[in-house]
Amino acid sequence: MGLIARTIEAAGIPTVSIMLLRDIAEKVKAPRTLLVRWPFGHPLGEPGNRAQQLTVLHAALTLLVEATVPATIVEPGYRWRRERYTEPVDWPRGDGL
Amino acid sequence: MNPMAHNVLQIAGMTMREQLSRLGGWAFTHIPGLRLLWARTTQSVVEQQDVSWVPLRRRLPECRIAVITTGGVHLVDQAPFDMADPHGDPSYRIIPVGTPRSRLTITHNYYDHSDAEQDLNILFPVELLASLIDRGVLGSLTDAYSFMGHIEGEHLATLTGQTAPEVAARLKQERVDAVLLTPA
Repeated sequence: MGLIARTIEAAGIPTVSIMLLRDIAEKVKAPRTLLVRWPFGHPLGEPGNRAQQLTVLHAALTLLVEATVPATIVEPGYRWRRERYTEPVDWPRGDGL
Repeated sequence: MNPMAHNVLQIAGMTMREQLSRLGGWAFTHIPGLRLLWARTTQSVVEQQDVSWVPLRRRLPECRIAVITTGGVHLVDQAPFDMADPHGDPSYRIIPVGTPRSRLTITHNYYDHSDAEQDLNILFPVELLASLIDRGVLGSLTDAYSFMGHIEGEHLATLTGQTAPEVAARLKQERVDAVLLTPA
C-alpha cells in the first residue's frame, strides 16, 4: 500500500495512509502514516463502533492538514478493544492553507 | 497419469491451498506475534529511502477525496482478485462513488474479513466519508479504487510501473485533492 501512496503523491496528490504495523510503516515510508496497532482488516476499528471509526478518520484528516515533513508517522496509541471513544466534534478545516 | 486423475488432484490441491491460505489469513489476523513475524519477513514490503511529498492545497471542506483500499473489495459483478497466484494480483477495481453496500464484496484470503463484511466502514469507509461531506467537513467524494495488497515478485513491477500510475492518472483527471489509503 505504501508503494501506491508514494506513486500517487509523486503524481502530485497528497495522501494519508492508515497502517497497522510499525515495521512496515517505517520501511515503506508513505508520505503520511497514521499507525494503529490493530488486527489486520480493522484499520478503522471494530464493526458498528462509529465513534471509534470517526476518531480514526479525524486523526487521519488532522495528519493530512498538519503534517509538514515527508514520511511522518503518527501513532495515537489506541489500545485494541480497551478504549472508550466519543464522536469527534471539532473537525480540522485547514483554514491556514 | 490419466487426465481425470490429474484433474482431481489439481482440484484437491487448489482446495487445500485455498483452505491453507484462509487458515493463514485467520491466524495472521488474530495472533499478534504472527503479524510481527510477517512484517519482518514479507517480500511484499520494499524498503524505501526518499519520499515524495506535496502539501494539501485546499481547505478540507473544499477537498475532493478518494479512498483506495488494499483490502480486496470489489463489485459483486467484477472479476475477483486472483487468490491462486502466490505472488498476489497487482490489478485494481474501480468502485464508482455511490455504489450501494449490497453490490460490494471482498475477495482476499490472507486476512479474516468477517468483521469487514459486517461493517465495511472498518476498512472501506466511503459511507462514513459521505456522512462527513453531508456535514460540510469534506467537499466531495469520487470513485474509489481497490487493490488486494500482498503483491510480490514480478507483480511489484506491474504495480509500480502500470497499475498504480494508472490509478494516479485517473485521480488527476478527476481533480482529486487528497487520497485516504486503507490496508487489509
